[in-house]
Amino acid sequence: MLATTSTDYRFETIALGALDGLTGEQRDILSFGVIGLGADFIAEIYNATESRLAGISPARVLGSQFFLNIGICMNNYLVAQRFEDEPELDTIIDYVLTLRMRPTPVRLRLLQSPSIARRYILTQR
Amino acid sequence: MSADGATELEDAYEELLRFVYATPVGLLELDASGAIGIANPVAMQLLLQFVPPEGLTNFFSVMEVLAPELRNLVDGFRPAAGIVCENHRIFAGPASRREAAESKVLGCTLVKLGPNRLMAALLDISVQIAQERRLNEAEAWFSSLIDDSNDFAVVMLDAAGRISAANDSVLQQTGLTERDTIGQQLDIFEADDLCSSRTPPAEKLAAARRNGWHLEEGWHKTGNGGRYWCQMLVTVRAGAEESPGSPIAGYTAILRRAQQHQFNSANLKQLLTTDHLTGARNRAHFFEVAERECLRAIRFGQPLSVIMLDVDHFKHVNDRHGHPAGDETLKTLAQACSRLIRNSDVFARVGGEEFAVLLPATDLQSAAETAEKLRACVAATEIRAANATLQCTISLGCAALNAEARDIPTLLAAADAALYKAKHSGRNRVVVANTRQTILEPVSIPTLELSAKGG
Repeated sequence: MLATTSTDYRFETIALGALDGLTGEQRDILSFGVIGLGADFIAEIYNATESRLAGISPARVLGSQFFLNIGICMNNYLVAQRFEDEPELDTIIDYVLTLRMRPTPVRLRLLQSPSIARRYILTQR
Repeated sequence: MSADGATELEDAYEELLRFVYATPVGLLELDASGAIGIANPVAMQLLLQFVPPEGLTNFFSVMEVLAPELRNLVDGFRPAAGIVCENHRIFAGPASRREAAESKVLGCTLVKLGPNRLMAALLDISVQIAQERRLNEAEAWFSSLIDDSNDFAVVMLDAAGRISAANDSVLQQTGLTERDTIGQQLDIFEADDLCSSRTPPAEKLAAARRNGWHLEEGWHKTGNGGRYWCQMLVTVRAGAEESPGSPIAGYTAILRRAQQHQFNSANLKQLLTTDHLTGARNRAHFFEVAERECLRAIRFGQPLSVIMLDVDHFKHVNDRHGHPAGDETLKTLAQACSRLIRNSDVFARVGGEEFAVLLPATDLQSAAETAEKLRACVAATEIRAANATLQCTISLGCAALNAEARDIPTLLAAADAALYKAKHSGRNRVVVANTRQTILEPVSIPTLELSAKGG
């Protein structure tokens, strides 16, 4: 399905607009984790890869304040604060997440733009 | 197991994960070396204040700078299992030198579960510590009111902080007439005192608004041109009761003659501002005073200098002689240096083996001379550890406020850069910021034991 389009679906390069336009099915077959946050950082998107890495099903995440419930280790100046401070954001950082309480080195891509309501965190192990 | 049973188990596991993800206390499981096996997000969030993500592999390494004693506590804990420490306070100071304003205090509980298994719980207790300090100060103050029938001077201030009335005792204590004081701010009573930092009047009032009161001690003027040690309590007079949201009506300040440093709050302050290992001032205190002295120096056009200093080859001391010898080195060094500086200077431990000296009213040349005294003294001091007598040296970098460096972070960065030069041009020497010149060449030490490698 994805192969038939010309859109770029790679962790490093997928565009925010393309990411925001994906269907749930399309997001779920991506090899990296996708977390989409709405106003007040409410979790609106939590794809299958992210769910598998974190050990939590989307139903238990969606609708909750992400940085208070699941992603507390990103609730700091390195991640959450950047969404507050930088309206236009597309950056990749090395990070450590506690996936299933195991400190796990990951790469995070933070994406935000004034033209799109939802901001995204992509995670790659 | 039935399919239903398996689903139930998975469900319970997921609920448990979700519970631990959201737990607002940092939890870690460590092996005996401190390697982090399991950690919840809050633990990571708290530790990320002190180290970059790639440094988050060993708990004791992360804590090496802020609380090197944690490793020693665990190493020295003999029972097979039990509580190693409970709510041990880690005065983390600002997360970085660039965030001088915010001091963090963590409470750390360590439990030994077996020969190679430890649990750690971490809690940010900065707010409780600040509350505790205020309560203790207030308690000390109020008990002194009851115990003592000294004369109290009472000053009324309006909402803008201007004096609107003063009782007779004010005139007796300060020698000022009512006319001198009306319309003035609280600092009119203060004596010039280069040796201690004063909170500006607006900050005293802001603290009183925040906490309900503000307590401070310092030199105040007497009528005959002398000075006396004064404790001052500033309280807020609330606005009209029927409209609680309305602005405050004003402030009341009570001034009381006291014996310097006899008061409980002085002892308490000592405890809260001292590095427990070395007896030097702690990092939080250093930044608090440095920021204030910097503003004052700029305002009055006075010089202000800092010296950053660092123990040469400290890693080698720890590796070769053990952490207790390292601790002894830091203690001996801090005691030796503290004896050499003036009362107005602040000698503080700002990192593991890193110290800083704040020198108010001191230019760069004088700072360099002080630095050389410290260097020579440390080089000549013997350190008696349990299993060896050691000698060590320090490298020092000096910087002073100038047109380029007009705030504390810049000043410290300049001193740090000079310290770096001192390290890289051979150690055991003083380098002054913004010059290529090493002012004072090192003296060779005949039996320098610690010359192999390391920091």
